[in-house]
Amino acid sequence: MLSRRALVSGLAAASVTTSCRSDDAPKGRRVASLWFTYGGKNREVLEKLVRRFNTSQNAHFIRAVFQGDYFEGLAKLRTAIAARAAPALSHVVGEVVPYLAEAGVLEPMDRYPGFGELDIIPELGQAKSWIAGDQRPTVALPFNRSTPICYLNGKLFEQAGLKAPTTWNELREVARALTVRDGARAKRYGFCCPVNWWFWVALLQQAGGEVVEPDGRITLGGEAGVRATEFWQTLVNVDRTMKPPPGRDYNAWEATNQDYLAGRAAMIWTSTAFLRYLEDNAEFKVVAAPLPRDARYAVPTGGTHWVLLKSAAPEEKASAWEFLRFMHEPEQVIDWATQTGYMPVTRAAVKRLESSGYYAKHPNDRVAYDQLAVARPWPWSKELFRIQRETVQPRLESAVLSGKNARALLAEARERLQGNR
Amino acid sequence: MKRPLHVVLLGAVAALWLVPYLWMVLTSFKTLKEIVAAPTAPLPSGLTFDAYRAVFEAMPVWRYFLNTTVMALAIAGIQIAVALPAGYALAKLHFTGRKLAFALVVATLLIPAQVRFVPVFAMLAEVGLVNSMTALVLPFGVSAFGTFLIRQALLSVPDALIEAARMDGASEARIIYGLLAPLLRPTLAAFFMFSFVYHWNDYFWPLVMTTDDRVRTLPLGIALLREQGSGVRWHIVMAGNVVLSAPALAVFALTQRHLLRAVAGR
Amino acid sequence: MRPRSALEPYVLMAPTALLLAVFFFYPLGFAAHQSLYEWDLLTPPRYVGLDNYRELWASGELYRAFTTTFVFSVVVVAGSMLLGLGLALGLDRPGSFASFVRGAVFSAYVVSWVSVALLWLWLLDADAGAFTRLVRALGGPAIDWLGDPAYALYALAGVTIWKLAGYAMVLFIAGLQEIPKVLHEAAALDGANAIRRFTHVTWPLLRPTAAFVGTTSLIASFQVFDVVRVMTQGGPVQATTVFVYAIYEQVFLDLRVGRASSMVVVFFVLLLALTLLQLWVWQRKRGV
Repeated sequence: MLSRRALVSGLAAASVTTSCRSDDAPKGRRVASLWFTYGGKNREVLEKLVRRFNTSQNAHFIRAVFQGDYFEGLAKLRTAIAARAAPALSHVVGEVVPYLAEAGVLEPMDRYPGFGELDIIPELGQAKSWIAGDQRPTVALPFNRSTPICYLNGKLFEQAGLKAPTTWNELREVARALTVRDGARAKRYGFCCPVNWWFWVALLQQAGGEVVEPDGRITLGGEAGVRATEFWQTLVNVDRTMKPPPGRDYNAWEATNQDYLAGRAAMIWTSTAFLRYLEDNAEFKVVAAPLPRDARYAVPTGGTHWVLLKSAAPEEKASAWEFLRFMHEPEQVIDWATQTGYMPVTRAAVKRLESSGYYAKHPNDRVAYDQLAVARPWPWSKELFRIQRETVQPRLESAVLSGKNARALLAEARERLQGNR
Repeated sequence: MKRPLHVVLLGAVAALWLVPYLWMVLTSFKTLKEIVAAPTAPLPSGLTFDAYRAVFEAMPVWRYFLNTTVMALAIAGIQIAVALPAGYALAKLHFTGRKLAFALVVATLLIPAQVRFVPVFAMLAEVGLVNSMTALVLPFGVSAFGTFLIRQALLSVPDALIEAARMDGASEARIIYGLLAPLLRPTLAAFFMFSFVYHWNDYFWPLVMTTDDRVRTLPLGIALLREQGSGVRWHIVMAGNVVLSAPALAVFALTQRHLLRAVAGR
Repeated sequence: MRPRSALEPYVLMAPTALLLAVFFFYPLGFAAHQSLYEWDLLTPPRYVGLDNYRELWASGELYRAFTTTFVFSVVVVAGSMLLGLGLALGLDRPGSFASFVRGAVFSAYVVSWVSVALLWLWLLDADAGAFTRLVRALGGPAIDWLGDPAYALYALAGVTIWKLAGYAMVLFIAGLQEIPKVLHEAAALDGANAIRRFTHVTWPLLRPTAAFVGTTSLIASFQVFDVVRVMTQGGPVQATTVFVYAIYEQVFLDLRVGRASSMVVVFFVLLLALTLLQLWVWQRKRGV
């Protein structure tokens, strides 16, 4: 019941935390703004690391500003660039980096002090994240990098004596075995996956295709794209073992996580980024597994990359750079990766985790990292984010949710793209 | 003589509008575990202030509150200061183009913020005023609604009063602000409250005109609480919502009669 | 009255004229101009003539935005007016209890749209929402109010009605109170029952109020943005992408300022046409 103590401590906490806000820069320091877009646990970890940087030295101060989710934050960043009010540092999804780079708003980092010593894992850095990424000025450094992985409800799988599926057909069988019907819907779905661009690209690549051909033609995977779409349609409308989650942008991801935690979905595909969150909140054993193959094993990478904005003042960029170097030191990389579930981005950090026995104790954390062996780079296409947002994502939902003809839809999408150029 | 059916119906109506708020307040005092475990259990097991603490730690609530209040006060104040002379001219003075001017003013009611924001944004970006209090206030300097109200009110003020003041040697400015404004106090007060509330609650304009949290307003800050992707923390969102709604509801409770009259008085 | 000097009225109108020119009329013209270009805010604009309008029509985006907004507005205007009128008739009585209930209903109008949106986002949550569970507990269907394309728009309309009903109610009460009681008494003496009293006495005299409520509600419903942004972000499957949200998305998320401007022009023209139509309808009915 309400105790005076609780009330007083609550009010005290409120006034204290507002009076010593961490974004009030101490005098005499160079201030650089960082715009970030996480909520929840990840935000806490990032803010902790920013605080650690600010207190560990006297010359620079990073002012971290929360801007909403990825899309909202990206929107704000772009309009801020247009309004000449952009911060020095931010982080953006991989699909949009080529666009920003081609528009000339990103600062190349190759010449900054200490660039050569960053020791970045090539598959996670610009070098291998994009086709021919190492042949361009470096404008992106990996921050929270992820691949899609499969999460199994350990208890349910053990009870049913099943293992993680390694092919699409196995996935269908496993999903069927674990689905518990309840009239038209299901009390428990065998499989759940956000009907989202990222996972579609994964399926498409597993079916042997690419979104954009090496010569630049946008084929949306061709036959493989159709196969990928039809696979989802089959699972949702024919087998009825996959639950179609609601909403757009990130609502679907959250619903998937909640369904998994509540035991309403026995197996889900989502980002390795949620590993810690799911492990912390599940009442059963969480088992992570790599995605299955169709024609081949393949996954896209995801998450965001650090970018420096060209329009910021040189001193701000210099301060931001020092922060980036700090974030790539093994200690910070390990803290970030182990407290969230994103992959560690430097080789030194991985070596340390291996030798300290971390991976032995947390096998789930290795799954995404090992999957990097089959990670496919994105095309360096400035159309990529438009393809994602305007062409593919809107059609994906209607294709799966309403079961329309996948081939026709994708052909129409391709035509649209040609017309839009 | 209250008939029981009537009381029940009225009670149901009251419940439909009050229970949601009650639910919001109750949720804000729960812990996340409670919500996940039993979302529809009405009462929290104990009053926890964790959610409120999280809200105040997640954002500079007082700064946002101040920004919002300053912005709304400035807008309402400027609107009245500008609408008084315009309303006076439209109501009392004969001049060519009066009908057209009035029509144009009212026509702007059809040009909502979503139509205007891109050019205004581009304009303000040119002069480096995006993300400033100016960007939030100046575009709302004129209120067509306020001008309309003031004109209506002034129509019923007898000309003789103004002519007498003129003969006494008062300047037009003196007449407008010194004589007529006090006469119009009920209208002005009602309009001030209406405009203040409307702009205090505005979400869209600050959303597109601010880029970081220097002049961010409270509705924006609280909306950001629905951090998606890793499980919405409803107790925190509701605590933020209580913080956001409380001032408006408190002011409403105190000035209920005036505000209702303001809306009804057209 | 005669102005004191020839320039006086213009001087008095000057601040208003200047601000309106800069912040209302110029933007409208600019949007019309910008609609002929393709611009992403980061690189220079590119002339494309009427392509934006063509794309808007050909892609079905215009049609979709229009029908979504139209359906939404019709439901909201009809719903809030009916509910507001009903509440006014029921609550136009003395007594502190009625006053309390009136206050409760109107309070939703006073808080911000963000408040209302966040509140109902929680109440309508597909799993844990109190409203959803209540409906199911009472034997109703298990509907995902915000996640089902068939229901999402109506859910948002319902939330909007919940917020606007208080406004309509208060205006109708004011209108009702302007009707002289003697008219009701005379009709009653003539043997008219409650329903006939309403259709023959109340409604004809309430029409101007209804016209005002209808027009302002229509304008308000066309500008609803906050609930969409906070609750559904235009989804699911674009079921709730109303016009103004589509404009916002085009600019901020898709970076197509030219396309957004063409939507702005179309939207403005439609709003103007609809408002004039509504006013004309109300004016005509009065003459009958």
